[in-house]
Amino acid sequence: MSDCIKLTNDDPGKNPLSLRERVAAGRVRALPRSEELVTADALTPALSRGERVPEGEVRDGILTGFITKVAAAMTCAAGEETVIEWRRDRKGVLTGWCWLPCGESLLPAARAVAELKGRLAMVTAYLPERGKEKGEREIAYHFDLDGATLTLTVILPLQWARVPSLTPIFRNCDWQERELMELYDVQVVGHPDPRRLFLDHSLPHAPFERLVPYSTFTNAATGKALWDKVLAGEREDA
Amino acid sequence: MTTKIIELGPHQLALEEPMYFRVQLDGDRVADLDVLPGQVHRGMEHLVMRRNFYQNITLLERLCSLCSNSHPSTFCAAVEEVAGIAIPERAEYLRAVADEIKRIASHLFCCAVQANVIGETALFRRVMEVREIMQRAKEAIYGNRMDLAANVIGGVRYDLSAEGAAFLARQMEAMKQPLDELYLQYGNNPALLVRMAGVGVLPREAALEYAVVGPVARGCGIDYDVRKKSPYCAYDRLEFEVAVQEAGDVRARNLVRLAEARQSVSLIEQCLKGLPRGPVCADTLPEIPAGEAIAKSEAPRGELMYYLRTDGSDMPVRLKWRVPSYMNWDALKVMLKGEPVANIPLIVNSIDPCIACTDR
Repeated sequence: MSDCIKLTNDDPGKNPLSLRERVAAGRVRALPRSEELVTADALTPALSRGERVPEGEVRDGILTGFITKVAAAMTCAAGEETVIEWRRDRKGVLTGWCWLPCGESLLPAARAVAELKGRLAMVTAYLPERGKEKGEREIAYHFDLDGATLTLTVILPLQWARVPSLTPIFRNCDWQERELMELYDVQVVGHPDPRRLFLDHSLPHAPFERLVPYSTFTNAATGKALWDKVLAGEREDA
Repeated sequence: MTTKIIELGPHQLALEEPMYFRVQLDGDRVADLDVLPGQVHRGMEHLVMRRNFYQNITLLERLCSLCSNSHPSTFCAAVEEVAGIAIPERAEYLRAVADEIKRIASHLFCCAVQANVIGETALFRRVMEVREIMQRAKEAIYGNRMDLAANVIGGVRYDLSAEGAAFLARQMEAMKQPLDELYLQYGNNPALLVRMAGVGVLPREAALEYAVVGPVARGCGIDYDVRKKSPYCAYDRLEFEVAVQEAGDVRARNLVRLAEARQSVSLIEQCLKGLPRGPVCADTLPEIPAGEAIAKSEAPRGELMYYLRTDGSDMPVRLKWRVPSYMNWDALKVMLKGEPVANIPLIVNSIDPCIACTDR
């Protein structure tokens, strides 16, 4: 079982689901000014290349320091009630999970991660279980903090979902956002180059939210759809 | 100076998979670049949501050939994290063995292709010949030269008998001298230096900005290896140093790969020496509950990341992964800028791009 370390800034002992739902319920706070953001030069002491990860109390001390720094930065950026739930696996690798109630708190939170020298690792857009009933969708932004992974999950409405683009802060968010824009019905505001990335223009918008036949989905699909295309091409050539 | 735009396809780029580039030229030098992916987009992330966890192990292994072991092993790690499954110690070592075998073969393939691109066909043949030792090892142990089918939820589905371990140890012994010789070749051979040193440079600051990973990042002096930063499998018990070079050019990236291949030999030997006794797979598996997890691994091309979300059924609600090549493509803009057109294929191959992985 994962070793659970919880670090909450208000009532402790809430389970993650109720916390997540509480955030979704929309208790939005005033956003902080950027000069209030916490900066950290080195989150964890650098290991020399041959060195092993420290164990026991030393490691626990380092981890607690790290968790406190990240929590302070996120609280400062996204509001007092921002809670990060940390999980530590058997090898001591940390994953932090943090839910943001709306797209607006994403930018300050992302800036705080950038200040902590975080690296954007991946962006996952998805329709959660029972998302359609509740009219909700989520986008998870996964950041690397020197080996630990911090996931900021934004809860968005199913219809007319909008998030600010993080590409101006994390350059490699460019492709991540282009991909999520073509697969899901989400508007990324302020993306510098919102062209389709992988999908052909013959495909409908947001195919992950529609029933699209697989042979239509893949350009390289074999079967009737492909042969129709090939034959149409031949007719054009003639 | 005349400015024009040319389009390059896989044939001109010397890639075995389809990727298209729109290159803006200033005279005969690259001014800007637009990467046009999607030619092998198969909707894999759509498919995995319609298959159960076991079917997905098989499907993910077929995503790509060169990192085919990294995908199922990282996916299994994500499922195990959601369900709280502890894999047996022997399985941790056997997963590391499979990963390192694939790493050596993948790195050598990349170095061989680059030798071929610059017309060093004798060296190309030599590197492929050395790689063949690894291919035969895979064939003997796993019964296949590319897809090892080594992973299963809760452990691995192969075991090393005393005979198999002795065979693998002999193959590793046979790799040492050729790998040392190749490292010297790629480091010092004047014919290679003139084509690879100072070519396709990615400065360290740009590497951080573009968030590149793997040998591309380590070739720019970024000391980041998932096996050290977020240990998994048996890597917390194995001794190795992260291979780092400072120059950020094609030569540096290849030296990182060859140093890593040599270290992989040592890692496999350490695994064979310290291989604990016991089962190779967890006995009984719990039901996979609702939850979410992140799993990471150091694939041959760098950090591979999986996000899994489950709802208590046997199919994922969402399974998303990001391959190392995904960010490395964009950094080509920096590496290619100001380079002559003739250097494009070499520099593109020096990031060891994986198109099937990028497009999914």
